Formats: sequence, C-alpha cells, structure tokens
Amino acid sequence: MSTKEQRERIELLQGTLDLLILRTLLLGPAHGHAIAKAIEMRSEDVLQVEQGSLYPALHRLIKRGWISFQEGTSENNRRAKFYRMTSKGRRQLALETSKWGKLAGAIARILMPTGQEGKS
Amino acid sequence: MNRRTRMMDELDQDIRDHIERETQDNIERGMPPDEARYAALRKFGNVTRVKEEAREVWSFIWFEQLWLDIRFGVRMLVANPGFTTAAVLSLALGIGVNSTIFSVVSTMLLRKPPVHDPDRLMMLCSRNEGAGAGPMESHDPVSPLDFLDWRTQAKSFSEIAAGSSFENDIQATLSGGSQPERVPSGEVSANYFQVLGVSPLVGRTFLPGEDQPGHDHVALVCADLWKSHFGADPHVLGQTVKVNGDSYTIIGVMPDTFRSFWVFPEQLWIPLVFTPEQLSPAARAQHSLSVFGRLKPGVSEAEARSELETIARRIAASNPETRKDWGANVLTVQQYAIQESNSSTALEFLMAVVGFVLVIACANVANLLVARNTARQREFAVRAALGAGGFRLARQLLSECLLLSLLGGGLGLVFAEWGLHLLRGAFNWNEWTILIAEQLSIDHHVLWFTLAVSAASAAIFGLAPALQVSRRDPNAGLKESSRSATAGREHHRLQNFLVAAQLALSLILLVGAGLFVENFIEEVQERPGMNPHHVLTATVALTGADYKDASRQAAFFQNVVRQLSGRPEVQSAAITSDLPYTFPGYVRIAVEGRPALKTEQQAQSAYFAVSPGYFGAAQIPLREGREFTLADNRDSVPVAVVNEEFAKKLFPNQNPMGRHFGLTHPGEATNGSTGTRKWCEIIGVVGNVNEYVGQRTPRPQVFEPFLQHPDPAMMLLVRTHTEPLAFAPSLRRAVWSVDKDQAVTNIRTMGRVLEDSGQGDSIMAELMAAFAGIALAMAAVGIYGLIAYLVGRRVHEVGVRMALGASKREVLLMVLRGSMRMVLVGVVMGFLVSLALPRLVMAAFQDFPMTHRNWIIAATPLVVILVALVSSYLPARRAAKVDPNVALRYE
Repeated sequence: MSTKEQRERIELLQGTLDLLILRTLLLGPAHGHAIAKAIEMRSEDVLQVEQGSLYPALHRLIKRGWISFQEGTSENNRRAKFYRMTSKGRRQLALETSKWGKLAGAIARILMPTGQEGKS
Repeated sequence: MNRRTRMMDELDQDIRDHIERETQDNIERGMPPDEARYAALRKFGNVTRVKEEAREVWSFIWFEQLWLDIRFGVRMLVANPGFTTAAVLSLALGIGVNSTIFSVVSTMLLRKPPVHDPDRLMMLCSRNEGAGAGPMESHDPVSPLDFLDWRTQAKSFSEIAAGSSFENDIQATLSGGSQPERVPSGEVSANYFQVLGVSPLVGRTFLPGEDQPGHDHVALVCADLWKSHFGADPHVLGQTVKVNGDSYTIIGVMPDTFRSFWVFPEQLWIPLVFTPEQLSPAARAQHSLSVFGRLKPGVSEAEARSELETIARRIAASNPETRKDWGANVLTVQQYAIQESNSSTALEFLMAVVGFVLVIACANVANLLVARNTARQREFAVRAALGAGGFRLARQLLSECLLLSLLGGGLGLVFAEWGLHLLRGAFNWNEWTILIAEQLSIDHHVLWFTLAVSAASAAIFGLAPALQVSRRDPNAGLKESSRSATAGREHHRLQNFLVAAQLALSLILLVGAGLFVENFIEEVQERPGMNPHHVLTATVALTGADYKDASRQAAFFQNVVRQLSGRPEVQSAAITSDLPYTFPGYVRIAVEGRPALKTEQQAQSAYFAVSPGYFGAAQIPLREGREFTLADNRDSVPVAVVNEEFAKKLFPNQNPMGRHFGLTHPGEATNGSTGTRKWCEIIGVVGNVNEYVGQRTPRPQVFEPFLQHPDPAMMLLVRTHTEPLAFAPSLRRAVWSVDKDQAVTNIRTMGRVLEDSGQGDSIMAELMAAFAGIALAMAAVGIYGLIAYLVGRRVHEVGVRMALGASKREVLLMVLRGSMRMVLVGVVMGFLVSLALPRLVMAAFQDFPMTHRNWIIAATPLVVILVALVSSYLPARRAAKVDPNVALRYE
C-alpha cells in the first residue's frame, strides 16, 4: 500500500506544526500557500505536511493571539490573506524553540548513547 | 459578526485560493491542467476534515460532543431497561449507604456549631498533665477560681464566659404545673449568650450584673420547653418557674439548634452565682465549669493557647496543693464538641465499611457493562470503521457511565433519606442523641459528597470496560461473527476478576461484621451480676428548702421505700446512688494499717450508696457476711460492703471481713492530710456487678449504707411480681404520697437500662450486619448475572456438546466448575485478608473493639461459597436444560 517515499516521510508531532508556522512567519508576513511551500522546502520534503492541516493550525494560532492577519494582494495581484507574527507569538516561539531543543537533545542522548556504543 | 463565524466564512475562500495556487504551481511544473488540479487536491487532504478541525478551534466542541454523547447515552439506557434498572439499583444502594453514613458524619463532625463565628469561639479547658493524655486529648472542666483568674488575666480573648457543665448538680424542677418535672439546666455567667453569639427567639438574655446574688432570679428556657410547657405562648415572659424551690422569672426563650453541640444539652438556664465554698482555695480542685472565650481580632488560636498555658502555670506555682500537674488547653468549640461526642472513630469505621459496599456495587455495574459492551461489539466496530478514535469511543462510554452514576446518585439520595429516617428512630437513647437525630439531614456537604462519589464511581466502574472497548481492533470486531462459539478470552478474564474481587470484599466485610456482632452479643449476654428481669427503675432528685438537711433526705427515701414495699405487686424495693450499667462514680481507697499513699496512687473503686435490702432487690448474691440494715445509720459505726473483685485486689489471699479502710471522693480534701479519718468496717462481700456494657474485667466496688451517706438524688429500684412497666403509675403515686412536689424521672425497666447502656454499640452492630448483608447480596447478584450471561453466550456450544453426547449432569458440572474456579480465587483472597482483619482494624481505627474469633473467620468463607454455589446453580441448570435441536438452530 505505502510507497517507499511515503514511509520515509515523518508525520508531525502534535503542536510541531504550530512551531513551524511561527518559525516561517519570523521571516515576514506570508499567505497560507506560501507558508506551506516554505515548510516543505526548508525541510527538504522530509516532513509530511498535509497542506490542509495548515488552516486549523493557523486558526488555532489566531485564537491564541500568536499571529494576526490582514487582507492584501499577492505578487500576481490576486486577493490573499497575509499572516503576521505578533509580539506574543515571538515570545512563544523563543520559548518553544528552547523547549524543543532540550527535548530533541534528550531524545538523541537516549537513542544514541555515544559513550556506550562499543560495549556489548 | 463574531470572529468564529467570520473565520469560518472566509475559510472556504482561503481553501479555494490555496488549491488554485497549488494547481497553478503544478501547471507551471508541466503537468496537464486536470492532473495538476487533482494533485493539488490530494496534497491538500480532506477538505471536510480541515473545515471540521478549524471549527473545533473556535467552538466548545468538547461540550457539543458531550451533549451528543449524553443524548445518545439516554437513548441507550432507555433501550435497555433491564440493564439500566440493575445498574442504577446497584449504584443507588452503594451510593445510598454512603450518603446516609456521611449525613451522620456531616451532622456530628463537619457542621459548624450554630453560634456566631464558630471558628473564633474557643473552649478553655483544664488539662491534666499527669494523666498521660496528649495535649489535645485532655479537656477537663474548669474550677470557678481558675475561671475568674483566667478571665481577669487572659488578654487574648475579648470576653470569657462560663457555664456549669455537670448535669446532675443542677437540675431544675419545674413545679407549679400538674406534675413536677426535672429539667436538665445550666447555670451560666451573664455574658454567656453574648460570647456564644446566640440570640433569643423571644425576650432577652441575661444582663451584666444579673449573675450577682440578689439579682439572679431570672431564667431562660429553650424553645422545646417553651413549646411543651408553655404552649409556645408569646406572653411567657414574666411568668415564674420554680427551680430548686426558688422562684425565677422567665426573661427569654432560646433557640434549640445550638444545644446539640453539648453532650449534656440543657433546657433551662439561670445565672451562675458562686457560693463562698466554691471560691475557697481548696475548691480549685473541683472542676465544674465549661469556659468559653471569644478570640480578640488578630489573635490566633495558638497564641491564645500559649498565653493561657502561661497563666495556668503561674496559678499552679502559687497553688501547688491543688493545681500541681494542671495546665490549660484551648480548642475551638467544634473540636471540643467532636471530642466530647467521642464518635469519630466509629464514624470513620462505618465510612470505610460503606466504601467497601460501594466498591462491590461498582464491580457489579462494571460486570454488567462488560457484558453489554460485548453485545455491542458490532456497533463499536462500525463506529471505529467510520473513523471514531479509541478515545472518542471510550469517552462516549464514559458519558453513559456518568449518566448511570448520576441516576444512581439521585436514587441513592432517596435511599439515604429513607436510611436517615431509620437512623433518626434509632438515635433515641438519651437527650443528646435525640437532638442529634433531629439535626440529621441531607445538607450541602452530603449533596457535594454524593455528587463526588457518583462521579468517582463512574470512573471506577466505567474505566476498565471503556479501555477494553477503545483498545479493541475494529477489524476483529467486524469479523468476529456472533456465531463464534465462545467470545474472546480477554473480557471474560476481566469479568472473572471482578466477580472474584467482589467475593473477596464481601467476605472481608462479612467477617468484620461477624466479629463485631459476635463481640456485641457477648457483651449483651455477659452475666450482669444481677437479675435485670422484672425490675423497674426511676430517678428522684429532691429539690426545695425542705431537703437541705441530710436526715430529711434519708427520711424521704426511707418513706418511699416503705410505701413501695407495701404494694402487693412489689416483691422488694430499694434505693441506690447508681444503678448497674450506669457508669458509677469512683473513690480512692486507703487500707488501715498499710503505709499511707498519696491519693492519686491509691486503689480506685466504684462507689455506691445503697439502702437496706438493695442486694436482695437487685438479686446481687451475698457471698459472705451480711447486708445493710436500718441499724446501719448515722449513729452507728461506719460499715461497708465490697464486691469480690475489691476483696481480691485489696486483700489478696486474706479474709476481708472485719478489715477497715477509708475512702476519698474525687475533689475531697485528701484523706491522708486531715488526720480525722473515719475507717469503715467491711461487713459483707457481694458478687461483681457490671458497670457498663462491654465491661471485660470487673472493677472493685464499694457500697456504703445510704443512711450514713444520704444524697438528694437517688435511683429507685423496684422488683415487681407483674410486668414492671405497668407499675410505673403506681411508682409515681408512691413517691407523690410522700411529697407531691418531687419529680419522678427516667422511669425505665432494668432491661432498658442495659439496652441504653449499649445502644451505640447495638446500632453499630445492626449497621454492620446490614451493610455486610447488602454486600453479600450484591456479590450474589454479580455471580448470578455473570454466569447467566456466560451461559447465554455458550448456548450454541452447549448444544454442540449435548448433540455429541454430553449429559445434562456434565453440562451442569461444567458450568459450575467454571464458576467455582473464580469463586475460590475470590474466597481465598478474602480469607487471607480476614486472617489479619482484627489486627488491621485495630491498627487503622485506634481502640476499635474487634477480637479474633477463629470460628467466624473459618465459617464465613463457607457461607460465601454456599451463596455463590446457589447463585451459579440457577443459570447452570438453565444451561443443562438446553435443547440441542433448538440451540444448534439458534443464532
């Protein structure tokens, strides 16, 4: 059923998408499609984001006040909704990033204990 | 327009934009337009789900789903009335007994005393440091001089008040009505009710100065008395009552509610006036007052305690002969009332017992649920296949459980109300318990408790079945056809475990109840040391100026005995200071010719003053010597009769007859210091008589002739030829023929005296037996239900077996063997715990009486096995009756 390509992709952990969106918006306001593209490109296609799931996540972030949005027009003069990080979101991103770093470090240490590799 | 609606409205457009952009990108990469659009859609994912998830962000979806779950749950419960009834009834029983007992807990331990700001109202007590009790346990009454010193010296309290707390010392006689009557009364300082913060219903309370001699002839009555004796007449103010022969003017009516916090509730109050004797230095040893103090704002309980402790130490230093080893203690009125009522251990124990009952009920419901969930397997499989996650399924089941438990809790409250009705009837053995009974009700504590218990039990009985459902693989559920011979093993294991646990718990409860009831029966059947049958008793406490003189008291009672003895129904009549089984006072004994000891080191003995003929009337056997006669009076030498235990303890291996000893009443000046000791001679030895129900070992007892030691308050003991209670009117007439102004109270048969003495224990025994019975019945229903269910599932299998030649007997045995396996597991578990039960109970509930009785611990498992056998036999027989032809066709 599943192709090799699909198996190599990683499903996102709960809440990780929020973090990725915030990180993307750190570079400046963007519309939904652009955010999805940016995440895909920057993760070199390893992270499997169903593009649709972006929208509930955006709504969640709006509700929490971490991002805001305004109507605007895109490059080719089409109507678009631009999402922008708020200062509250900026703080949250810093917090989440350091948490994530700690978590990733800890998991890495458990899964790959460098000091004990030679022993049986 | 709110944000939610706007966001949702725009979402459609956003999604369309997104897919258009993605399509455009794909086309630019060289895909044909159709394929490009299709790829974009695929990459986007399920549009409906995206919208739904976005909506969840904005809505209280949890509540919306809960509402759906509840509506569905109601439909499911209505659709299965048999299941619903069984589950709700089980829960209602389990929750009902909990709410009932908790109502008692709430009434006696949780409710604040109905006085103003009860947390700031303190009890100030004397504390006996020599008694070895912990600092919080000792709370003795206070002597008048200590009270006056505390009142002037203590700075922590805005005001300090006192009331006389010994019920026997002041009991008013309400005379002037048709019959004189004794009313428990209190003497209180003028500021007493202000300090308590209780306002009168009618009139006023005492004014400052009304506790000074000459201004003190005013009285307050309680509402009960007001209703029963004055017809709730609002013009009661200004009427006079006679209290101890003196007239008092009624100035107010007090509410009844606050009285129940005192173990000796008074009905009438007069001002507290100290006599010169009470204020003499020696009287510091006489503890007679309950002292209340209201904390000043900002002063803590601990600060007040340490201040009072300092004052008490100062008093002790300057009055070493009376105050040595006496400190002081401060505790809130609520703590005081709880300690006085002495009921917390029993209530904690009962709460533990009903907790067991509830757990058994929950196991029952859990079992029913597992069985029903198996029947609903297909439904769950379909739901799961349609996308319901395990959590969502479990949540729906838990909502159904919550519904069940709330229904159970509601019905449980109805049961509790009924249980309380029964308890109110049983709480009738003294004035205080009657007041408690009136207060018993389902209050807000009980409502919250019931709600919490219902929710908790939903979690207990719902969790395991819900987890089971949520973990199941939907594929297996859809594939497992209803025709498969036996269902998967796993839920049977859970069900077997639940039934085994139920049996174990009920076994433990039964053993506990058995031990307790056995203990109680032993107490009741123990040999009282006298013959309680055909005996009527009553109390007469002489009041009025006529009886200030001791010889007049003696003459009165002698006359009464003469009157009574003259009646044809009467076999014999006598008087005594205390009846058997009524907790007599005690004295200290010094034996002549032995080294003088300090009073508190001398041997203790129970004390009775009795009339000639008492031992004959009570049928207390005389072992040696003689009874008292009319010649043993004030003019003759002091004599005494002792019991066998007294002789054994004080004169081991010696003949006590003719020996001399002296006795000291508590609070009397030490008999060693006066030098003018009056030795009394032992003229007789009688058998031991019990002083209270459950007395394991006899205590020394000493009897003195009443004529040498008269007292205004005595008990009458009349042995009749006829039914004793029928003699009550004649007994009253006999007393009134001597003096028509004296009240005869507390008329009870001796049998009733015994019963009342053990009333608390008897209620405990009845409750224990009832709860254990409920537990066993529920466990039996549990087994029955499970076996019936299993048999129902195995009809097809049984049909196959019988078609292949199995006999009815073999089928019966097969089913019984299956059930006996889990029964034995449960019984063994329960039995092992039961072995340690007396020790566990004693460890968990200090001083709770529970003795080890091998036969109960050995016999109870047999009872449980028998009950289990009967409950599984009924469905097993049904299995044996299966007709193979029908069963094989049966789907």
